[in-house]
Amino acid sequence: MAESLHKESKVIEDISAKFKIAGKVQRERRVWVTIDKDNLIMLCNFAKGLGFEHLSAISVTDWPEEGTFELTYHLWSYSERILLTIKTKIDRANPVADSVVPVWQENAQIHERELHELFGVEFEGNKDLTPLFLEDWNGPPPFQKDFDWKEYVRQQCYDQANERERAYYD
Amino acid sequence: MVEQATKMKRLINAIWIFNWFNSCGFTELIPLVGSRWDMERFGMIITGTPRHADVLFIAGYQTLKSIRRAQVIYEQMPDPKAVIALGACTMSGGMYWDSYNTVKRLTDYIPVNIYIPGCPPRPEAVFEACMKIFHHVGAVPPHGKKFAKAHKG
Repeated sequence: MAESLHKESKVIEDISAKFKIAGKVQRERRVWVTIDKDNLIMLCNFAKGLGFEHLSAISVTDWPEEGTFELTYHLWSYSERILLTIKTKIDRANPVADSVVPVWQENAQIHERELHELFGVEFEGNKDLTPLFLEDWNGPPPFQKDFDWKEYVRQQCYDQANERERAYYD
Repeated sequence: MVEQATKMKRLINAIWIFNWFNSCGFTELIPLVGSRWDMERFGMIITGTPRHADVLFIAGYQTLKSIRRAQVIYEQMPDPKAVIALGACTMSGGMYWDSYNTVKRLTDYIPVNIYIPGCPPRPEAVFEACMKIFHHVGAVPPHGKKFAKAHKG
């Protein structure tokens, strides 16, 4: 088993030699590393140099108790056939992160645009963060955990005095 | 006006339909197209462009983004035109009634002539709705006139 994870360990060795961070081999073809947000772009550039040229997805996890947003970058290497996951945490009150558009170009643009809309994360360096799905939206970013969307809908769309809509308030 | 209605009825043997379907709304109308229910035998023809369409079918829940495109399509259709809403989600949001980005009342956004309830509506119900269009074609206003005016005159 240990021998079969050789190429996964090699990726972590390469990264930790340069960035002094620990990584984890989750299982075959799955590698996780965590880094602070200041070194994120440097690590992304380095990972692309290692062959992780495909940015599969970016996701945001909301941790309201902790006061952070966790950004997760899923990178795929066609040559090594490894999914590298880079995680970083940013302040929830001031959700600003550096854009990875300079690294993966347009591939990253649409992901960041979506996350800006759904979580309100500002990606510095991304030129087009206009709303993607929610046109004419005035409410808070809807995917934040403290956004009570049921209450929002009741206030915005329904009328409790209307007999036919009263059931929505039960 | 009566003369106009007779003329229209004589002229119209088919209605051309433009489909605006979101999500599962599309699969609900698929049986009608196939050989079992075969909508074309009643003169219901699906067209690829709103410029040629008499009737706009709206199905599936409408989102804040998609409803705007539906409005553009409606504007592109020539008069006289009719809008048919298929299914629970289209009419009231259906099971997505508490979602923040679905349309709760379709009439707030687009003038609807006929609602077909159901999840999904039976094909027979869709046929009945289209038969109503054939029967009421005289009441559909001629070019350039709004519905309210036509009913008064």
